[in-house]
Amino acid sequence: MKTRRFWIDKFIPLIIPILIILAWQVLTSYGIIPSTIFPQPIKVVIAFLDLYKSGDLMRYIGVSSKRAISGFIVGGGIGLILGLVNGISTTFEKLLDSTIQMIRNIPHLALIPLVILWFGIGEEAKLVLISLGVFFPLYLNTYHGIRSIDPRLIEMGKVYGLKNISLFWNVIIPGSLPSILVGVRYALGIMWLTLIVAETVAADSGIGYLAMNAREFMQMDVIVLSIIIYALLGKLSDSIAKLLERRCLQWHPNFKKTTK
Amino acid sequence: MGEEKKGSKLVIKDLSKQFDDKKVLKKIDLTIEHGEFIAIVGRSGCGKSTLLRLVAGLEQPTSGDIFLNDEKVKSINCDTRFLFQEDRLLPWKKVLENVQICTLNKDKEIAINALREVGLEDRGTEWPSVLSGGQKQRVALARALAGNPRLLLFDEPLGALDALTRIEMQQLIEKLWLEQQFTSILVTHDVSEAVALADRVILIDEGEIVMDTQITLDRPRERDNDFVYFEKRILERVMKKTKEPLGKADFSI
Repeated sequence: MKTRRFWIDKFIPLIIPILIILAWQVLTSYGIIPSTIFPQPIKVVIAFLDLYKSGDLMRYIGVSSKRAISGFIVGGGIGLILGLVNGISTTFEKLLDSTIQMIRNIPHLALIPLVILWFGIGEEAKLVLISLGVFFPLYLNTYHGIRSIDPRLIEMGKVYGLKNISLFWNVIIPGSLPSILVGVRYALGIMWLTLIVAETVAADSGIGYLAMNAREFMQMDVIVLSIIIYALLGKLSDSIAKLLERRCLQWHPNFKKTTK
Repeated sequence: MGEEKKGSKLVIKDLSKQFDDKKVLKKIDLTIEHGEFIAIVGRSGCGKSTLLRLVAGLEQPTSGDIFLNDEKVKSINCDTRFLFQEDRLLPWKKVLENVQICTLNKDKEIAINALREVGLEDRGTEWPSVLSGGQKQRVALARALAGNPRLLLFDEPLGALDALTRIEMQQLIEKLWLEQQFTSILVTHDVSEAVALADRVILIDEGEIVMDTQITLDRPRERDNDFVYFEKRILERVMKKTKEPLGKADFSI
């Protein structure tokens, strides 16, 4: 009985996607939707296989992922460090926070023209845009996480002889981790979004380039394939973040059930 | 050094504490002997918790001094441990790691022993969130004991527990105090708890010591007539029904 329940639970989320794909195949193969508007799923699979065999697909996925990850590390790292510094020190907060809040209110995608003029359409432009997008969610959530630690726990730490570094590692970091991880998940979403926009606007490789190039030749199947790959990459990174949450927050009653 | 007694001696001289305009403590003088168990009772807001926080070095006095074994208390002292009203366990550390917090980088054995003392040695690998309120407070007690304190400060640690758990905890605290000989100061609003545990009960009212009574009952204490006598006596003073002259009053029964 237990295993049956297990399989039902696994299968339920798949029902709707499978139905959609079936309907899609039926509607397109009978010409109800013209293939110039929407390609058949089979065509998309064939396009995938072709691109996979030629090696382009994996190369583009690699290029795009590398951009995303390096932007995430740079922007997220700076956000994390500034969040920690401003969370711990009120002096730094006074110095930096209002400036950061001002910059935050500019949509980072509005800077695309400026960034292109400054950095051209090369890798730097994409790195700058992604870093900028990822910076704020991590900064805000880290800062907020530190500020919302129970001051009574910090007092306890001090009474029990924890000082600076040990207080930081034993109380401040684990206490703000739930909030930091929310920031990570949010930043991952923005990371893909920015990457897609940046690659669509200007690129000579990557998945966005693949899609824009296909548009030139009306290759509907490749366009749809690129969109699906974006979706899968986004889902993959979110799953990794979720896994990280479960591993790091086992103590948290909200995450306990899911770990079992 | 070998001759030195384990429990700290505490001398409080002319101690005052003021928050903004409010005088919380007014010229307190108090001496607590090595290994003595003192209970401080009073209504809420009378300044009893502030006194405890001053002794712990968590607050600085406005005037006056506190001497711990003839040394002036300036900041948090590693021989002094504090048991808070709440358990204040770190939810992201397992029970044993919580106990180890004050013996950082030290022997795991000490922490296991401390957990054994409070009867929770088999719960070391669990998260604090699965424990009951009384168990959490016992872990907090183990955490305090693991540092091998010479002075243990209790800030109403049993206030949030149910009546039965409370009595169990009182017995546990008494047992550990008898075994380990640390000096104890218990702040509580529960007069019967004070009489059950303390050698001496001090009543603070509006920032001043208004009563200082030796509890001359044998241990373990029974809740008999003599017990009730002390309890009633202190309670009446709390309720301000009687005015008795300040000073040590040894009641002979």
